[in-house]
Amino acid sequence: MTTYSGVTHRKVQVQSNFERYAFLFMRLSGIALLILAVGHMIVQHILNDVHSLTLQYVADQWSSWGWKVYDMLLLFIALPHGINGLRNVLEDYVHGESAVKTLNTVMAIFLIVSLLAAGFAIASF
Amino acid sequence: MSSLMLTLRESVRYRGRGGHYSWIAHRLAGLGILAFLMIHVWETAMANYNPPVYEYAIAVFKHPLFGLGEIGLMGAVLFHAFNGIRITLLDFKPEWWRHQAKSVTIVWGVFLVVFVPIAIYMLSGIISHCGHGANCWAFPTYPVS
Ligand code: HEM
Ligand code: HEM
Ligand code: HEM
Repeated sequence: MTTYSGVTHRKVQVQSNFERYAFLFMRLSGIALLILAVGHMIVQHILNDVHSLTLQYVADQWSSWGWKVYDMLLLFIALPHGINGLRNVLEDYVHGESAVKTLNTVMAIFLIVSLLAAGFAIASF
Repeated sequence: MSSLMLTLRESVRYRGRGGHYSWIAHRLAGLGILAFLMIHVWETAMANYNPPVYEYAIAVFKHPLFGLGEIGLMGAVLFHAFNGIRITLLDFKPEWWRHQAKSVTIVWGVFLVVFVPIAIYMLSGIISHCGHGANCWAFPTYPVS
């Protein structure tokens, strides 16, 4: 146990491995999203001309390998980060064991189906 | 349900200092971005699977009301990003908790400095688009010609 001026912190044994990895994932994916998600907003809103968003624009983007990879990374990092965040939030408000299980199942299915559908849309364009 | 109401009420009532508002804002921003993203990935996938639906979706997004929503989304992404970095730094560097109050102020300050010019830029875009004589308030009809 170490004490810094007024702040006490101690090492504790963390119970479940899954929650530990979820905690680390939120922080590491957050750092990646700082570049990917903020970069995506800058590209869509400041570098591009708004009303130039067309199907053709997306086709041009997805004809380039670089943007395909960028969008794939964004998809596969942002959606799990957001869904796991939602799981954390629900944990604060929903306490019934079976309700938690049902919600977790629904979220997991939605996440997997979305990743497959949207990922395939990028890959096969 | 009653525990939900209690939590919501107490969340707003608790008068912690800046950090409490940061916590509420971080949570609401995260949920807001997720709500957008769940629609966005399916809508964008339509560019491949069903182009007429995609054309219609982006025509709807050009409505000024969605433009305001986009400004809100930009603010949510920026605040959640800066505050998320603050949380991460403090989690891995407990000794920096001494500066926790200051870190809250810094995040809000950086957020305002970055967001306000972008919001003004985006808002002026909406206004000039609506000034072109086109009826920008009309909703598009499907299919978009
Ligand atoms: C969420 C749905 C929307 C999508 C997907 C979308 C798409 C885009 C894209 C690709 C840009 C490039 C931005 C830029 O270069 O400025 C943009 C920015 C912009 N969008 Fe949207 N837009 C949406 C909603 C709207 C709506 C409803 C309006 C209202 C007219 C609007 C107005 C603008 C303006 C004014 C900009 C910046 C314009 C400028 O550069 O002068 N957007 N949007
Ligand atoms: C209103 C602001 C936004 C606009 C106008 C916009 C626009 C677009 C466009 C035009 C694409 C097609 C591909 C490309 O151009 O690279 C796209 C794809 C994508 N965007 Fe956004 N975006 C916005 C906000 C966001 C945010 C906040 C996120 C994540 C946090 C996000 C995540 C994604 C993902 C994951 C894809 C790939 C989708 C798929 O595979 O179906 N976007 N976006
Ligand atoms: C832009 C960079 C981002 C960073 C640096 C970031 C960082 C973080 C961190 C560190 C947490 C954990 C907070 C905690 O445990 O107290 C978190 C929570 C969360 N994030 Fe993000 N995130 C980012 C983008 C996103 C995006 C794009 C979404 C939506 C898809 C999102 C949705 C959420 C949600 C819903 C939570 C749970 C909030 C809560 O527990 O109160 N984040 N974020």
